[in-house]
Amino acid sequence: MNLRRLVRTSSFRLTLLYAALTGASFLVLFVTVFWSTTSFMQHQIDITVAAEIKEVHTAAVDDSTDSLRRAIESSTKQAGGFYYLLQDRDGRVLAGDLPPLEPVIGVREWLEPQRLPRYPKTDIRGSGEATADGGYLFVGTSAHEVHELRESVAQSFLWGVGAAMLLVLAGGALMSAAVLRRIEAVSQTSRDIVAGDLQRRIPLNGSGDEFDHLADSLNAMLDRIGVLMEGLRQVSTDIAHDLRTPLTRLRQRLELAQQRAPDAAALHATITATLVDIDAILQTFGALLRIAQIESGARKASFRTVDLSELLHTVAEIYQPAIEEKSQTLRADIATGLSVHGDRELLTQLFANLVENASRHCDAGARIALGAHRRGDAIEVVVADNGRGIPVELREKVLQRFVRLDASRTTPGNGLGLALAHAVTTLHDADLQLGDNAPGLRVSVRFAAA
Amino acid sequence: MAGPKPLRILLIEDDAETADYVMAGLRESGHNIAVARDGRDGLFQATGQDWDLLLVDRMLPGLDGMTLVRTLRAGGIETPILFLTTLGGIDDRVNGLNAGADDYLVKPFAFSELAARVTALGRRPRRTAAETVLRVADLEMDLLARSVHRAGQAIELQPREFRLLEFLMRHAGEVVTRTMLLEQVWDLDFDPHTNVVESHISRLRGKVDKGHAASLIQTLRGAGYSLREAMP
Repeated sequence: MNLRRLVRTSSFRLTLLYAALTGASFLVLFVTVFWSTTSFMQHQIDITVAAEIKEVHTAAVDDSTDSLRRAIESSTKQAGGFYYLLQDRDGRVLAGDLPPLEPVIGVREWLEPQRLPRYPKTDIRGSGEATADGGYLFVGTSAHEVHELRESVAQSFLWGVGAAMLLVLAGGALMSAAVLRRIEAVSQTSRDIVAGDLQRRIPLNGSGDEFDHLADSLNAMLDRIGVLMEGLRQVSTDIAHDLRTPLTRLRQRLELAQQRAPDAAALHATITATLVDIDAILQTFGALLRIAQIESGARKASFRTVDLSELLHTVAEIYQPAIEEKSQTLRADIATGLSVHGDRELLTQLFANLVENASRHCDAGARIALGAHRRGDAIEVVVADNGRGIPVELREKVLQRFVRLDASRTTPGNGLGLALAHAVTTLHDADLQLGDNAPGLRVSVRFAAA
Repeated sequence: MAGPKPLRILLIEDDAETADYVMAGLRESGHNIAVARDGRDGLFQATGQDWDLLLVDRMLPGLDGMTLVRTLRAGGIETPILFLTTLGGIDDRVNGLNAGADDYLVKPFAFSELAARVTALGRRPRRTAAETVLRVADLEMDLLARSVHRAGQAIELQPREFRLLEFLMRHAGEVVTRTMLLEQVWDLDFDPHTNVVESHISRLRGKVDKGHAASLIQTLRGAGYSLREAMP
């Protein structure tokens, strides 16, 4: 995992953004602290200076320049940590230890360029006022501490911000690396799958975090695709398996017709027979694709509530005449108000197939019963006949594609009816059971409670 | 066959062989037919001229059939559309009808099936006042009273038989195929292998034609059924 990739990850970019925000909030904090501490200290200085000015006035007998000069001279000698200046209206220094100043009234602060005798550092803050005769009196003190405080606050801020940024960036890099590792696992798996290892799945770390969820969903998707591909493979195999025989027959017949150069009538008969065969092949083909499509589960998306009672009545009504023509009977015993969640067309085809199957595999005189009833929470639909039935050991087998019992080889059909029924019931989470009607076959489809 | 009225048909189909096959067949039936080889050309021609019927293939280069149909319908073009789908596209059927097609046909199809559907669609009246009484020869169906009379004699029909006869009468003189009946009368989108349609027709025939000199329900071998007076 190289640094460039790390830096380009979205989590690292988020980290940078976070670092910038942290820096900005530090700056605000710094400005606030800086301003409040220094202004507090300056205020303290201003109070002390004001007190000293008051002191000077108290020491002076009156407001005359002379009295002030004497008071200042004595204060200067006491060396109480203050600087003093008294100058006349022409700017001449009368007393004190400061060089002459521009007579500015009020608080002033400056960096004195000259080295002053008693105090090495020369930031001076103080307050000036006009004297009674137009001169200027200034009392100040060293503002060196304010200056130092400023410097130290700025310095600790810089160190603090620097350390915080480093922590944020390091944390971000670690976080990004962790995320990148998980993503990398997904990418690697995808690449393996693309490269042909279709069984690969994304590893989960079991923490149940969002990456596990993602991996879980992706794995489920891969499983689903696997099922679909398996279905496709199955269809191809089936086509190869079952369509080859009729296609070969077809080819032989056409070849024969070509060689023998028959008359127009014979040729016409051959063509008619060929068309019938082709239609049968197409029907088988369609049924296979339909089964594959049903097994893919795509139809589930369009499931809705289906009035099963009405649907079964329709099926019974559709088949009634055809069954009676075969001298068989169809008796429908369908409870009212049955409904299931499903696909109307597929369910119609399911029961149509079952009824048709029963009729086709029974002889004249057979009795076919179509029943539907509530069984507790479930709904059971039964198609029963009194024909030959299916031996126990073959009941599972007939649900597969193209399996036809020897006894029924001569009856029409492509061997896909029950396979399709099975696919439809599976899609509906219903249970398809082949049972013994003693005699005959009893097919039951059980829908779980909706 | 006393040919149906000639229709101006636009076939939008990219496969040359299928297009030629359909074109030759429909020309023989007396229709005027033009072909567009891709979706864009199809859309251009469909909107540029007045057609009686559009045959639209599902898979087209340029603009697929489904989008084409949707675009035409969105543009207010009400020309009947017959959608041609392939065997595999089972959902195409529903989607095609939802997109605005009037009918569909799964390829490969028998030409007789196509011809029957083309006639049925081309004749479809464009939003005329609803008829309340259908008449074919001496057979009369009152859609409001839901009663049927033949030569003044009442005929009792089951609801589904009524629907079957109504469909045949609405398409009187035309060929109606088994699959058309399965779809329109029973809502079945699959073909049952047993002679379901045949037995229903024979029952209906027993009620409608029995005892009358001229039978109205004709079986056309290999093609379907037709409701009309038998040619003497």
